[in-house]
Amino acid sequence: MKEKIYIVDGVRTPFAKSGTILADTTAMDLGKTAVSMLLAKTGLAPEKIEEVILGCVGQPAEAPNIARVIALRAGIPESVPAVTVHRNCASGFEAVTQAAEKMIAGRGEVFLVGGVESMSQLPLLYSYETAKKFGAFVRAKNVAHKFQAASQFRLSDLKPEIALQLGLSDPVCGLSMGETAENVSRDFNISREEQDSFAMRSHQRAIAARPNLDAEITPVYLPRSKNGKPYLKQDNGPRENQTMEALAKLRPVFEPNTGTVTAGNSSQITDGAVALLLMTEKGLKESGLTPLGRLLGYDYVGLDPARMGLGPIHAIHRVEQRVGLSLKDASIIEINEAFAAQVLACQKAAVSLEYCKKNLGRDSALGEIPDEILNVNGGAIALGHPVGVTGSRLVLTALKELHRRQADKALVTLCVGGGQGGALWLTRN
Amino acid sequence: MDRTITCEVRGGIAFLTFDRPGSAANIFDQATFEQLNSLLDQVENDSSVRGLVIASAKPKIFIAGADLSGFSKDPSPENLSKIVDQGQRIFDRIANLKFPTVAAIHGVALGGGFEIALACDYRIASVDSATKVGLPETTLGIIPAWGGCTRLPRLVGLPTALEVILSGKQYPTRQAQKLGLVDDSTYRERLEGLATKKIVDSHGRKRVTKTHFSNISPLATVIADRAKKKTIEKTRGHYPAPLKALEVVVNGLKSPTAVSLENEKKAIIDLTNGEVAQNLIRVFFLQERAKKLTVGDLKPEVKPKRVLVVGAGLMGSGIAQWLSARGLNVVLKDIGPEPLGKGLQAIDRVYRDAVKRKILTEVDARAGFDRILPIYDDVPLTNVDLAIEAAVEKLDLKKQLFSQLEPKIPNTLLIASNTSGLSIDAIADGLAHPEKVVGVHFFNPVHRMQLVEIVRGSRTSETVLAMAVQFVKSIGKLPVLVKDSPGFLVNRILLPYLVEAIRIFSEGHSVESIDRAILDFGMPMGPLRLNDEVGLDVSQHVGSDLAARVPHLPPLNNILPRMVEKGWLGKKSGAGFYVYRDQSESPNPELKQFQPSIEPTNADQLTDRLIFTMVNEAARVLEEKVVTEPADVDFGMIMGTGWAPFRGGPLKYADSVGISTVVSRLNHLAGKFGEHFKPCTLLNEMVNRGGKFFDAKR
Repeated sequence: MKEKIYIVDGVRTPFAKSGTILADTTAMDLGKTAVSMLLAKTGLAPEKIEEVILGCVGQPAEAPNIARVIALRAGIPESVPAVTVHRNCASGFEAVTQAAEKMIAGRGEVFLVGGVESMSQLPLLYSYETAKKFGAFVRAKNVAHKFQAASQFRLSDLKPEIALQLGLSDPVCGLSMGETAENVSRDFNISREEQDSFAMRSHQRAIAARPNLDAEITPVYLPRSKNGKPYLKQDNGPRENQTMEALAKLRPVFEPNTGTVTAGNSSQITDGAVALLLMTEKGLKESGLTPLGRLLGYDYVGLDPARMGLGPIHAIHRVEQRVGLSLKDASIIEINEAFAAQVLACQKAAVSLEYCKKNLGRDSALGEIPDEILNVNGGAIALGHPVGVTGSRLVLTALKELHRRQADKALVTLCVGGGQGGALWLTRN
Repeated sequence: MDRTITCEVRGGIAFLTFDRPGSAANIFDQATFEQLNSLLDQVENDSSVRGLVIASAKPKIFIAGADLSGFSKDPSPENLSKIVDQGQRIFDRIANLKFPTVAAIHGVALGGGFEIALACDYRIASVDSATKVGLPETTLGIIPAWGGCTRLPRLVGLPTALEVILSGKQYPTRQAQKLGLVDDSTYRERLEGLATKKIVDSHGRKRVTKTHFSNISPLATVIADRAKKKTIEKTRGHYPAPLKALEVVVNGLKSPTAVSLENEKKAIIDLTNGEVAQNLIRVFFLQERAKKLTVGDLKPEVKPKRVLVVGAGLMGSGIAQWLSARGLNVVLKDIGPEPLGKGLQAIDRVYRDAVKRKILTEVDARAGFDRILPIYDDVPLTNVDLAIEAAVEKLDLKKQLFSQLEPKIPNTLLIASNTSGLSIDAIADGLAHPEKVVGVHFFNPVHRMQLVEIVRGSRTSETVLAMAVQFVKSIGKLPVLVKDSPGFLVNRILLPYLVEAIRIFSEGHSVESIDRAILDFGMPMGPLRLNDEVGLDVSQHVGSDLAARVPHLPPLNNILPRMVEKGWLGKKSGAGFYVYRDQSESPNPELKQFQPSIEPTNADQLTDRLIFTMVNEAARVLEEKVVTEPADVDFGMIMGTGWAPFRGGPLKYADSVGISTVVSRLNHLAGKFGEHFKPCTLLNEMVNRGGKFFDAKR
């Protein structure tokens, strides 16, 4: 890349399963917590920030351009602009890479990026058809017309559409995300048991990594919690008592009789926020801060929406072509655990000459993605997947892990609903 | 002399604009009234004038009311009668003008400032946080006597009028409009336009107000009786003004204006000559005096960008809340997320309460809360420009904290300790910059108590002291300068009293009888209830700390330690001298085990023992020059503890009882209950030379 892009520091809130301890905390509050703590931790004067860029998939209706709301509430001066970005599950990547592109284009030295999501607070919606009936009722001029308009309502109009469910479905291929996971599990013949063991491992690794993860977490305070602790400092997704038996008992969600994808081997629906500080070399020098690491290269790529889970493979290939780094260069690898099936499929596709030849036009396989260096601190199956946040969380966790291992490079990837993949190469040096 | 009021006639409307030269406030004094009177002549004689608008050019004040110094300097019936007559006559003149009149209120319109508005046909107000209207007279021991008691009930009806006059509250525009105190509102820039519109729309006719249903007997009688009962309950018979106001208002409903105005006059002359009004007006002037406090001629501008508050406990969170609500960014530091979380919960409760009481909007409250950054990690603090420590009251801990903190906050103007009684000198010992250390002692609850003691250590620099004073004033608190001595001013006087209350309890007197005696005296809270509020562990700790450093203290007994041992820490733990259960409290039934079974018979001496303990200690504080003037003692006790304001504070009270009586009562108590009642040297001296704490004139 034409400019050295430093990831200087980062913090995140704990991740909490939707509907649990952070359910009453708004996305704005989550974002504000992460952003203001990052500023406090680095001591950066907020007026040095060129722009705030935050990923968010389900923006609250009351906070259009939520990045701006969070920036102002975190005490960043009014003169600093802010933008919210949305590339579905890769929104947290998009915030990072958009800042990188601006820096490369010479449009600023310091960017505050990240992601924010309250999946607990995603709304229930009325359908457009129902909304039209409400409109007609409001416009009706007299009692007779009102009555007439009211008579148009059917019981089915009262049934809300669930924003979360809509967001997890692909309107182009007509499949839900879980169905695309079933697709790749069939393609690569991945059994239920393989998926459950993968999920099991994710929990075990996340539990073991608690002290590691603790270092990147800032607490969310709960000023209105009625009982219990007045704060949350730890992710509440990882289950200490998770067993294979318990996982095996769960029913497949998307294919009742023969399916393999269950709630247990899919990512959790989660609330959380991450903030990262990005700088050019010049910005870094002026700040006097010590960076966590650097962005070496990145790319996004499109593929069949019905097989979106393989997005990481396509993105790894594309970024290899662009910056010359291949799987064997990675000391650690993160593939976001949208579904165990999809991560396992990526591992299989990466070593499949046939797949790589046919779909990527390569004459060799991508290479091996060894279990030992894959998602070493657990992944979204245990920690959760606040959609707009995960990308930034992976960057933060991977960089911290590079430091712990005194290792050089990390490859961080994720699949994206709608049929995309994203991959970032990071270095500690 | 410069003109206070200017008159401009534009488009047939006369605009009388108040702008007192060389002052931020407009007030009614004799000269202003004379000017107003001659301008009214001018307006009445100008045939082109078809309407009148009264306005102010000040950014924050419409008219702040009467010049109170006239009431306290010369409260003779002749002088008062002159002052009252002048105002009544001129406001009456405004009310009787042949054309429509509008008061265009921007900024505070209080007392006379609101009464002139009541004399107009219409009142409009700016939607600005500076704008507030009200009749605070009863809180000063007097009543609205420039037509307020007469005109307000006719305008808004008896129930609202009584609420406004008896509470003395100040109402922001939105609330004022809801109550009918103002008719309409708009932005400040458009007040003149709205005033013009009101006059044009009235087509030259005066406004006619219909008689409110609630102003007619028998409904009026029922309302008045209920208000009377409530007032007596609330004032415990100590404050005559609200009852007098009630009487004047109710009589005014069935009398012609002139008669009612005459009633107002009689009542205010009576009240002003009473001790209560004089004491309350004095409290007002003491507050004004504190607002002007400076250290020598030093008036450094202190506008911190970021204030560090160390400790998220009761006091730390209270301070953080107050500062954040005043627009300051606060870094709130404690040792972990648990205390921070609890502190933030307390802060959130104060903010929510302020929203509920309409003191703050939801948006302002959220913005205030957002300004607080809770931290427990070691984060850079070089951008902190003011620091306040509010950690646990243990000297070792504070010393350690200060020495760790000092190198981390090189850019701070000062490092304040909120200690309630530890030595500032001891805290500053061993620091690189002891001159930056100063005591800034807030009172609990911070958002309610206006007083802040500013403690000068022997090494505190003059500039730092001045900055502390300016800072405290800038956040809307009232400073009092005190010497670095055990317990400073307020706790030094309060503690012997709290200890004595527990001694009395241990002799067998019931919790209720002790607290009731003091409530009857006029304190806002009894001493045992106050012990609970402070926290029995804190009270015990401060008590033994002070006992070690101050002679003459009433000897401590073992009641507090035994209660603390049982986990009874007062209100915070749910039990102390009282038991606290869902908003209600009752005396702790298990306390009997600490008492002899027979209640002693000397109940009549409870008040004397408690109050004279304080009076004696107050004199001693003055004797030791903890503060420089007797007024500081009274001011501190009233603003810091709510010490019966109508009695004027402990020293004023001593004056009114008579110093020789105080001394003989103390000697009597010393003979019966212990040496600690012996009157201090200063009191004995004063008896010998026949002195008083305050000149009769003041």
